[in-house]
Amino acid sequence: MTVFLQTLVSGLLIGGIYALIGLGMTLIMGVMGIINLAHGQLMMVAMYLTYAAYTYLHLDPYLALFVVMPCLFFLGCAVQKFLLNPLMDVETIIPQNQVLMTVGIAIVLTEVARFIFSSTYLSVRTSYSTKVFFLGGVSFNWPMTVAFLLAVALTVTLFWFLLKTDLGRSIRATAQDKEAAILMGVNSRRITIITYGLGAGLVAAAGCLLIPIFYLFPDIGRPFTTKAFVITILGGMGSTVGAIFGGLTLGIAESLGATYIGMSYKEMVGLIIFLLVLIFLPGGLKRLTKV
Amino acid sequence: MKRNRLTIAILAAVFLLFPVAVTSDYYRHLAILALMWVVIGGSWNLLAGYTGQISFGHAIFFGTGAYAAGILADKLGLSAWWGLVLGGPAAVVMGLILGFICFRLRGPYFALATIAAGEICRLIAVNWESMTNGMVGILLIQSFRSKVPYYYLALALAGGSMLVFSLVMKSKWGFYFVSIREDQDAAESLGINASLYKNLSLAISAFFTGTAGAFYLNYMAFIDPEVVFSLPYISIMAILVAIIGGVATIWGPAVGAFIMVGVQETFRSAIFGLAPKWVSQSHALVFGLMVIFVILYLANGVVGDWPKIKRLVVRSR
Amino acid sequence: MIMIFTGLALTAFLMGPALAQETLKVGIVLPLTGDQAKFGEIEKKSFDLALEEINAAGGINGKKLEFLIEDDTGRPEVGRSVAEKLITKDQVVMLGGGYASSTTYAVAGVAQQNRVPFLINTGSADNITEKKWDYIFRLNPPVSEYASGLETFLAEVVKPQTAVILHENTMFGTKGAEAFKKTCGKLGVKVLMTEGYEAGGIDFKPVLIKVKEANPDIVYMISYVMDASLLMRQSRELKLTPKLFVGGAAGFTLPEFNQNSGKAAEKVVSATLWHQVLSLPGAMDYFEKFKKKYNKDTEYHGAEAYAAAYVIADVLKRAKSVKPEDVKQSLKETDLMTVFGPVKFTSYGKKTNQNKLTTYVVQWQDGKLQLVWPANLAKAKYVYPVDWLKVWGL
Repeated sequence: MTVFLQTLVSGLLIGGIYALIGLGMTLIMGVMGIINLAHGQLMMVAMYLTYAAYTYLHLDPYLALFVVMPCLFFLGCAVQKFLLNPLMDVETIIPQNQVLMTVGIAIVLTEVARFIFSSTYLSVRTSYSTKVFFLGGVSFNWPMTVAFLLAVALTVTLFWFLLKTDLGRSIRATAQDKEAAILMGVNSRRITIITYGLGAGLVAAAGCLLIPIFYLFPDIGRPFTTKAFVITILGGMGSTVGAIFGGLTLGIAESLGATYIGMSYKEMVGLIIFLLVLIFLPGGLKRLTKV
Repeated sequence: MKRNRLTIAILAAVFLLFPVAVTSDYYRHLAILALMWVVIGGSWNLLAGYTGQISFGHAIFFGTGAYAAGILADKLGLSAWWGLVLGGPAAVVMGLILGFICFRLRGPYFALATIAAGEICRLIAVNWESMTNGMVGILLIQSFRSKVPYYYLALALAGGSMLVFSLVMKSKWGFYFVSIREDQDAAESLGINASLYKNLSLAISAFFTGTAGAFYLNYMAFIDPEVVFSLPYISIMAILVAIIGGVATIWGPAVGAFIMVGVQETFRSAIFGLAPKWVSQSHALVFGLMVIFVILYLANGVVGDWPKIKRLVVRSR
Repeated sequence: MIMIFTGLALTAFLMGPALAQETLKVGIVLPLTGDQAKFGEIEKKSFDLALEEINAAGGINGKKLEFLIEDDTGRPEVGRSVAEKLITKDQVVMLGGGYASSTTYAVAGVAQQNRVPFLINTGSADNITEKKWDYIFRLNPPVSEYASGLETFLAEVVKPQTAVILHENTMFGTKGAEAFKKTCGKLGVKVLMTEGYEAGGIDFKPVLIKVKEANPDIVYMISYVMDASLLMRQSRELKLTPKLFVGGAAGFTLPEFNQNSGKAAEKVVSATLWHQVLSLPGAMDYFEKFKKKYNKDTEYHGAEAYAAAYVIADVLKRAKSVKPEDVKQSLKETDLMTVFGPVKFTSYGKKTNQNKLTTYVVQWQDGKLQLVWPANLAKAKYVYPVDWLKVWGL
């Protein structure tokens, strides 16, 4: 029984971080319909910034959150404005140019990071990195628990933003139907810029929260990009609630897969669920709810 | 793009005589790689550029072809050359399975599904050790020490595939492919069986990519899941070859293949040893920048945007 | 002015070919970019350090030795291409290097086919020297022998009844796990479970909790450094307390392991191929010289490279000519003591041209890696049994 509970808890906690990664991606995919294959790399950039803040400014990662998130927000906006938006004007045979552009961006971000920091594995070891507490025989890692709680907090904030503010409503409108939104006076260019920035900011938060418990190297982004779109599809493109459930589901599924099938099959579990959802539940988990 | 007979004849002569003129195995190797990518890029181009199904999982076909040949050699003791015959059909089978699962999806969903399928294939190859040796991979001894036979084989594959693609696109099938790309629903309403033609396109595309995979095993004599089922180095590379060269053109992927292989090796070797060492560290960076640049300014590739390039060059004189 | 310039140019022109004749070129294949770059760097630096010394001491019978170090980017197919380039374009007299097993394997295939001698110094999968490839020589022990030093330690001190093996799933980890299973068979230790994992995971707790349930006497892990750190950190978080944690070298002996695991590294035991305190001639010297020149610590990969450089120099000095068969013959006749240990290539079991070395056992004590076994070579006493909860501060 302890094995099961521990597995569940592990999965849930990491699911919180996954949810944050997925949230950013689902917004970008929902609003712009593009697959952001640079998502994991944006997280990598955030992690390097957090590392730098910790090493040179002695800023704790949880505080660095407030600095790094805005930084990535602006980086995201810049990327969208200068590299992605222009593509919408170009007449090309295949519409997937935006996706490939993100591939190029991902490579450039990774290599620049490698240039600056080299391929060495870096880590941020705070005083609480390995702190742990026990609840009925189940071990809870402190930073991961905090990450989970912060992820919840950020999600709630995001919800409030999307539901209650004008900007948030514009984003949701554009996600639902871009043409109609433009007709209603929404500046879709501006919205796409802000949305990409928002997505980048959210994944930056995930990075900050992840760094005390994991490590950092230039190629760290790729597996997370894969996870991001698995979560997005799982939850339903554009659905924030879906992304949350998608993240938690993925975390738990991976955990259970690792324990009961075998650790080397962990990655496959996520991918197979992904394919199954794509085929049989095309709207994602969102279809099962109304949100 | 219409090229007159003379140009084709000259090109053919150049390529046929290349190994005679260039005796360095190093450059021959680069040429062989480029020719292989002509096949893979062209195959992707058929499915994606002409038929509009943007696959991010072409590594599935390459890997299947490579492992078909590899398993024949490693487990059944047959010559890996049989793989050249079987690799294509094996990949077609995989393709039809993939099509069955994924063709009901459109646009970005289809692309994502192919990414997932590709990764699943890779993980299967890693874990199914009794068939594939897992991460240990399959290592053979090459049949020929000289590169020349491999060169001509690659040339034949490249030329053959381009010929087939060209003929297909000029035929009725070609029209159907393009109409599916432009608007699948409209095409269906006109009576075109979209599902049939998507699968046909996929079958041809998979066939050539699988054969290229089998060739790869025979030539490089070493494969493992990371190499042949790789998302960045096979699937995405195929896409970039076609895009940089020019999608929906016959010569685009060919041009793209030579550019990609050339640029990558130029930087990895620090401009063949002429530039300082740190330049070779930047080969991936240059690659990424090239992708961004091409997509931003030369979205139809070198071949597709040739008029644009000509204008720029003329203007700057 | 022009006269001087022309004069200098002429001199250089005339000297050029003459100088070229005086250089012996050896190709070295290492990962300089990609995720293995860190070790490629240490080996490159060691090769560079040795090269300076060798050339300063007169080179190869008066001729200069040159190492052409090429980047295999951590991918076997690039390793192959690079090896071919070194052989056909640069006309090297032999090859060296070889870090990751899969890349080394691919490069060895090229070397053997082209009949060019290849001295491997790191790639450790057993099968590389089991193919009867007469041009392939290996300085370092194969991964199946990594734990040989551990055997006596386990048999005499720990005496475990049960074990669990965790390994990363590339050639290196898989072969190492197989080898340790055999060792367990020999020692009468029951292997309760063997679990492979893909390197780079974040959360090993699902696997570790299963290990905890199985309650083995020893947990044996073959991992790269970052996984090793996470495995130990998370074992501590789960309060997983076998009698002993044992690492199969690689990640467990590196300074980063200690830096990243903190308390969780303490008292972890590992097999190792080399330690600077061993009374091997020049071992401590090499360690200090490296630190002085590069301001970093070196470890066994560096020692392997440094030793390999000296073996290459020795081989070329003794070779009758630079023809491959003569270099190969010279390699076969090698009998040299290096900072890594004695180097003599023999054939045993299924292996050919393999150098046979013993390995040692180290333990992290108070943040330092101490050599604890065999007892007659040890500089510090091993700590066993271990009160893990106390050591971990829980």
